[in-house]
Amino acid sequence: MLRGSRSTSFRTLALAGLAVGAALLSNRLASPARRLAWAGSAVPLSPVSPGPAATPRPEGVRPEPVTQEPGRGHLPHSAPPTPPGKTPPPASVAPSTPEPPSFSPIREISSAEAWQAFHYGTPFLDARRGSEFAEGHIAGAWSTPVWESDLDDRLLSFKAARRPGSEDPIVIYCSGGDCRDSHLLAEKLLGEGYFHILIFRDGFPAWVAQGRPVEKGRP
Amino acid sequence: MSPRLRRWLLHPRLSLAVRIALGLVFIAAALPKIGDPPGFAKAIWAYQLVPGKVLNPMALVLPWLELVCGLALCLGVWIRAALTWVALLLLAFSLALTLNLARNHPVDCGCFGGTTHRTDAERLTDMRWLLLRDVGLLLLAAQILLATHPRKN
Repeated sequence: MLRGSRSTSFRTLALAGLAVGAALLSNRLASPARRLAWAGSAVPLSPVSPGPAATPRPEGVRPEPVTQEPGRGHLPHSAPPTPPGKTPPPASVAPSTPEPPSFSPIREISSAEAWQAFHYGTPFLDARRGSEFAEGHIAGAWSTPVWESDLDDRLLSFKAARRPGSEDPIVIYCSGGDCRDSHLLAEKLLGEGYFHILIFRDGFPAWVAQGRPVEKGRP
Repeated sequence: MSPRLRRWLLHPRLSLAVRIALGLVFIAAALPKIGDPPGFAKAIWAYQLVPGKVLNPMALVLPWLELVCGLALCLGVWIRAALTWVALLLLAFSLALTLNLARNHPVDCGCFGGTTHRTDAERLTDMRWLLLRDVGLLLLAAQILLATHPRKN
């Protein structure tokens, strides 16, 4: 009986070892879109928050007091003022910032604002999976899938081609609804020193529904 | 339990059918996830239970463990060892679902790979059914364990 339980323990461990070996091998052979970094994700995996992401603006960057109606006027350039009686959420990415945040460098925008930004030639980043991007994406968007292992390379080629300044607006979208991929990418870009990130909340489904320009195919 | 019912419940033929069925469930669950580890990592992340560092290794190894155990069950080799993992995995899945149900946090199962867009209410309803399914699968594992002679396997 004792011998039986000992051999079962050995076999249990052997099955786990077999699984680890197979995982190592298959991950090595997988294409970049299907590969995962063993050490961890390229994006900061912050907890899922129900509301819009709001992170403090680092010191030294002054917001411009622009007021405008959503969907009208010029390109949205700064976050709306904090509504009275509401305090911004606490810092989640830059806990070293001493001042209480008064401005959010990550802001959710509506379809109308996204359309405006599109007209102004603002770069669009598609945070969805590469396969979804290939099936259809906003015309001229860059494929930057947050869950794929070559995210950093793709962001590098985007930066090399567009050379966005830290104050230049960047629109990020995914599939709308409760999709959090845009927020994950926004947190990453914020960590890299980009302070004007616009998240197109309703994402690609809304863009298609409104008959806006789309493209198909690999990046 | 009457001896007759007991004999019927632990009948070798029933045990064989249950073992193959359970093995096939695990193989079917493993294959789509092995094909798309990033998708599975995203599914695990949605549960908000696993630290970021553990997420990717888990998304890579877990589907292979399911496949290896599923194959072992179907082929009838190392049955007790495979059952140990199957039971542990099912308990972990049930715990993950229970914790998220308790905090009213809707998640997609991710059990068989790809997910579809659904409302939060639909997800919460599904999670209750999934919990029930996991308990059912655990019962199948218990049947095999009780019906399999420890010295033979």
